[in-house]
Amino acid sequence: MFLTFFLTEIRSALKQPMVWVFLVLIALMVFGATASDNVVIGGTVGSVHKNAPHVIAMFTAILSLISLLIATAFFNNAALRDYQHQFNEILYSTPLSKSGYYFGRFFGALILACIPLIGVALGSIIGAKVAVGWLDADRIGPTPFEAIWKSFFIFVVPNMFFAGAILFAIANRWKSTVSSFAGALIILVGYGVSGTLLSDIDNETTGAMLDTFGIRTYSIESKYYTPIEKNTLSPGTGSLMLWNRLLWIGFGALVLVSSYLSFSFRIKSSKAKKKKETQKIVANIPAEMPIVLPAFNTATQWTQFASFFTTNFLSIVKSTTFRILLLFTGILYTVSLIDGFEYFGLKSYPITYKMVDSIEENSIIFIMIILVFFSGEVVWRDRMSHIQEVIDSSPHRSSGSLLAKLFSLVSVVLVLKLFMMLIGILYQLLMGFTFIELDVYIISLLLEIPSYLIWASVMIFLQVVINQRYLAYFTSILLLFFLDILWEILDIDTNMIDIGSTPSLPYSDMNGFGDGGWGTFWFTIYWTLFASILFYKAVLFWTRGYHGTFMDRLKNVKRSYRGKTALVLTSLVVAWLVCGSFIYYNTQVLNTYRTADERELVQANYEKNFKKYQRVPQPKIAAAEYHIDIYPYERRIDHRTVVTLINNNRVALDTLFFSTDPDWDLEIEIPGGTLVFTDEEGMFRKYALGTPLDTNAKLEIVYTGGYKTKGFENEVSFRSLVSNGTFINNWDLLPMIGYNERVELEDKYDRLKHGLAEKARMPKLQSACAEDCNVNYLSEGRADWVEVETFISTAGDQIAIAPGSLIKEWTENDRNYYHYKVDHPSQDFYTFISARYEVFRQKWNDINIEIYYDQKHAYNVETMAEAVEKSLKYYTENFGPYYHKQARIIEFPRYSSFAQAFPGTMPYSEALGYIADLRDEDDNNVVLAIIAHEMAHQWWAHQEIGAKMQGATMLSESFAEYSSLMVMKQEKDEWSMHNFLKYDHNRYLRGRSSETQHELPLYKVENQGHIHYGKGAVVLYGLQHYIGADSVNAALKSFLEAYRYQGPPYPTSLDFLAYLEPRVPDQYKHLIQDWFKEITLYDNRLTEATYTEKSDGKYDVVLEFESRKLRADTLGNEIEVPMNDWVEVAVFKDSEMKDVLYYDRIKMDEIKTAVTVSVDTIPAKAAVDPKQILIDRVFDDNFKTVNER
Amino acid sequence: MATLKIENLNKTYPNGVKALDNINIEISNGMFGLLGPNGAGKSTLMRTLATLQEADSGTAFLNDIDILKQPTELRKVLGYLPQEFGVYPRITAEQLLDHIAILKGITDRKERKQLVAYLLDKVNLLDVRNKSVKGFSGGMKQRVGIAQALIGKPQLIIVDEPTAGLDPGERNRFHNLLADVGSEVIVILSTHIVDDVKELCTNMAIMNLGRIVFHGKPQDAMDTLKGKVWQCSVERDKLDDFKQQYKVISDKMVAGKPLVHVLSDTNPGSDFRQVEPNLEDVFFTRINETVTA
Repeated sequence: MFLTFFLTEIRSALKQPMVWVFLVLIALMVFGATASDNVVIGGTVGSVHKNAPHVIAMFTAILSLISLLIATAFFNNAALRDYQHQFNEILYSTPLSKSGYYFGRFFGALILACIPLIGVALGSIIGAKVAVGWLDADRIGPTPFEAIWKSFFIFVVPNMFFAGAILFAIANRWKSTVSSFAGALIILVGYGVSGTLLSDIDNETTGAMLDTFGIRTYSIESKYYTPIEKNTLSPGTGSLMLWNRLLWIGFGALVLVSSYLSFSFRIKSSKAKKKKETQKIVANIPAEMPIVLPAFNTATQWTQFASFFTTNFLSIVKSTTFRILLLFTGILYTVSLIDGFEYFGLKSYPITYKMVDSIEENSIIFIMIILVFFSGEVVWRDRMSHIQEVIDSSPHRSSGSLLAKLFSLVSVVLVLKLFMMLIGILYQLLMGFTFIELDVYIISLLLEIPSYLIWASVMIFLQVVINQRYLAYFTSILLLFFLDILWEILDIDTNMIDIGSTPSLPYSDMNGFGDGGWGTFWFTIYWTLFASILFYKAVLFWTRGYHGTFMDRLKNVKRSYRGKTALVLTSLVVAWLVCGSFIYYNTQVLNTYRTADERELVQANYEKNFKKYQRVPQPKIAAAEYHIDIYPYERRIDHRTVVTLINNNRVALDTLFFSTDPDWDLEIEIPGGTLVFTDEEGMFRKYALGTPLDTNAKLEIVYTGGYKTKGFENEVSFRSLVSNGTFINNWDLLPMIGYNERVELEDKYDRLKHGLAEKARMPKLQSACAEDCNVNYLSEGRADWVEVETFISTAGDQIAIAPGSLIKEWTENDRNYYHYKVDHPSQDFYTFISARYEVFRQKWNDINIEIYYDQKHAYNVETMAEAVEKSLKYYTENFGPYYHKQARIIEFPRYSSFAQAFPGTMPYSEALGYIADLRDEDDNNVVLAIIAHEMAHQWWAHQEIGAKMQGATMLSESFAEYSSLMVMKQEKDEWSMHNFLKYDHNRYLRGRSSETQHELPLYKVENQGHIHYGKGAVVLYGLQHYIGADSVNAALKSFLEAYRYQGPPYPTSLDFLAYLEPRVPDQYKHLIQDWFKEITLYDNRLTEATYTEKSDGKYDVVLEFESRKLRADTLGNEIEVPMNDWVEVAVFKDSEMKDVLYYDRIKMDEIKTAVTVSVDTIPAKAAVDPKQILIDRVFDDNFKTVNER
Repeated sequence: MATLKIENLNKTYPNGVKALDNINIEISNGMFGLLGPNGAGKSTLMRTLATLQEADSGTAFLNDIDILKQPTELRKVLGYLPQEFGVYPRITAEQLLDHIAILKGITDRKERKQLVAYLLDKVNLLDVRNKSVKGFSGGMKQRVGIAQALIGKPQLIIVDEPTAGLDPGERNRFHNLLADVGSEVIVILSTHIVDDVKELCTNMAIMNLGRIVFHGKPQDAMDTLKGKVWQCSVERDKLDDFKQQYKVISDKMVAGKPLVHVLSDTNPGSDFRQVEPNLEDVFFTRINETVTA
């Protein structure tokens, strides 16, 4: 009996197209991702194969989630088919076996739900075979059969079983498709919740267990995978994964069995409600049929529209699906609020724009579901309710009815949004935050409404024209998700063909909705017209009653296409085309922009044409005098810059080269020079000098030019120049002398595509370098130490800032003028800023501390000034003097979120510390950390700077990060530093697992954040932990003294190590090799921790632990090397590990060690390497609760 | 005085079924019964008249409204209860009727409220007017359907199988309701229940295989068979032989034995008893004629 139902279920479904459509769809997606560089699912970068086991596992895992919606259809069908066909009463009365019927159907549906996922294997295998033709051979590995079947049985089968059991139970219980889909949603939300939990690093294990689909469980297991492991390891059943799968299969089985037990063939008699309703009797019921006069005029149409709207709107809002959606969006959003806005464990204030952003993030998928699903509901509502004949034959206009459907859809989305806004506002108030910007909430919402209208029109159009509900759903989803991918593959990149898209208008507290308003306006008009055309077509296609085939309907449409209809439609099309032309003119003619592929081509051509000039000697910048006029409200900047060049070369120069930015206007005046060459792209110029420039001779040249905003763009491209918060650096303003290597393509596959040889990220580290050390990595040979003076003006209500001391300020023609001069020759790296600022000033030993901030962001201004002061204090004491008379922290809009150090000037994004919530002093003071880091750059980068070769950024970024930790340590208890350090550990370990080439040891770092920040911080902090901060600081200081403000040759990491080595005691000497020159990892774990009470009232604690040292080669292969290191152990009185009973350093020369220590009270917890000094991929196993033996 | 005039109306479905085969008929005020077995083309005709389906050829006029070309005009004067009348979920009977009243052009809120109350009362649903109409029994829903068909000022009321699922009491009430309005407008009652037509209709037609096989007054129809219908009770196992032997109009079980009506100009035998022809005899006779013809 089981077999009969099982096979019938499968056989009948295999005759339907659905299962095949989805199989093909998934195969196509995976094929695309495998065979094309433009499609990326689950992330394959660098040296990870396009068909690596890890990639297969990610595909399978993620797609098993997406196919949940497909699975819902199968399980729902299996449970409800007989019921919906009202066949159940007949069927149930036959003598069939309940279990055979129930489980036969279930397992049949389970098989069906799994079938589409076979597409992963098909897509990947075929994709890999085909792609050999055009992809680099080493991007394709051998077919990973093991990974394919393992992924299938680890992800697909358990996921479908688990989800299926729930869906089947729901379908059987509630007998409605809507409930089944709502169930699918609940499962998806469960997934979302576990994801949110995961974002907090402490909850990783909980999150992994709660992950119903095992996707993040796998991410955690594989998060430290190196490329080689990604290419070879199939998803295994590590303990976490195994438990996760067992947990959810078990849960599924439980659901299945209990729903089976409650399943009955008997038809439930719907309970008669016994509630006695006290009905108000309508007072005057007419005895005769009241005489009414139907009227058909414009007012009638409005009333009809309103009535249609109300019934449609209410039917959605009252539906279970919508309520469940609303509820879960609410839950998801609340969870994300509770966990959100966090960076290094510190939260920011719930600023309104953050709330708006997170509403957007958390609602987008639900809005899509609402638009897709309910577009079908409203269009098919009459037919589903079997009332269409009555409605269709009533004297209303189809356009009114459809318009009401459209608006009800959009209104439902608004209900969701308003609900989330309400939660947002409540959250803000609960957090004691009262600066609620209702206008930001409302304008953001208003800006989004057109896109809902547009998409709703598109979907209603599809439902009406296709006239097959599920086919229209399918098409809608294709449009929503795959149109973007298609355009990307075809390399078409304009908002004009991406339905509903407009230039984005991110809100910034400083700059409001920014300067892209007109672009957004015209694009909105353009898409609204497009939507109106579709909508009008939908009205024409709208069937009232029975109108047979598509061809019949088409005939009807043609018949009605005349007179007023034709006129309206034609004028809409004309208006749309006119609007489109206007947009085209603005975005493609007035402003040009390039697609990703075009940009690559331009970059490649630049390199091919001009690389030959890279080694041709050019003069350097010795001094610069800027005259800058910023017109922020026109988004225009003019400048005239006098640059003094000096020929440091041993030869005289007769030609100057300039690499220019075609978006900027530029005139170059060179005494006696003539322009002899300009390239077509406007990226390169050659000038012949009248008289050659002799060695050590100087030459003054003048640049005049600027940047003008013309019309509007496809996407606001230059957000450095805005109404409030202009932030432009000198590289934007001036051309670069000589060849600009930064233009070159970086990715080796991009380079290969354009026939360029692979490029080293950085020149090799050399121990004895002559010429190669003459260039530092920041100014790249353009300059050494430069004198800078600036005359800058801006709008009358703004302050303009340039590097150095303010010499003079005045007002002229309602504009503010400033004259600045740098106090000490500095790096050729500075910034010009203008905005409406408030300024907080403070003095420390003749140094002006200035915090420039937006009036809305006064929260942490004093903390910031203090942070500057603390940094100045620690650094002048330990590293040497500060050479500027001012230290400025300057806020800029959140279009970028970083902080950066220019000489004496540190711009800091409004998205970072300005809005951090520092009210809880136990939290990591990230504001202090970032400011201390940038302040440290005033020594590390701005006083000494590494030669342009491997290891250079260690001398600036690692030092700055270390210095910042040291400032923090002055504030904090040493035991709580690991709350901060763990983020550095994680940054490094995560970073190395997505290494695109070969991992390098710290002293050869090639400007990679995870190494110079993450590892650099951990290594230097660890070193001072072992040898003492004084020794490390002394080494840094002596190194700095040797190279401070020195011209070429610039130092290398080896130079620093030479200063460090003498300061390291013999017992720790190996650390220089292990930590700086090799890639060394540790694997520490506490295996046993027990205590026994002694007769004297003390306690003996026995700790057994293991320590391994691993050395990774550049590909990530690890070999174990003998352990000969000092490792710390600690015993704590409390389980929060605050109260230390015992703490000591032990020399480990064997893998396994046991120690017995004596403590005074009952211990709660013990740890090996308790302060998280050593780099250990799995840190959780370093702790254990101490039990009584 | 309204007139519905149908001329040469044809409709063939893509699968080759001829649902309307050159229909010509003229109907004026009063109740008009359209009888026919399942698949006779009744519903196609009803839907075509209700502007929900197009004909291949032919014309249909209600007074001077060209039904096929001016559907909007017709809809303003149409009351229609389709064979399949469902309701929206999550809406009360009162809200549903109110919505339909708006669609029928009754924009005055007060008027609408009165009308809806009157109709709900007439179909005996006043006390459940605030209940979800989706939860109604089949008969109750059907009554909602009847109420909605009477909204507005219809000149043409089309009701397709209206009494299916109604209990006798409801059926009587419905008949009264139709009789109230039926004198002033055209009411087309499509049914296969012969008694409905007999009790209500002044005029009738019988349809089969897409054709009108009879058109006239019920009494006239019965008169055509006067003296030709004979009744006889037979044993069940003899029934087949019996059918071979005589022109059987119909057989039905009475007290466990088939009671057979036979069409014959003369007395077919001693067991037979002449009976007054009823409408059912007419119906079956006409149907059988078309089949054998």
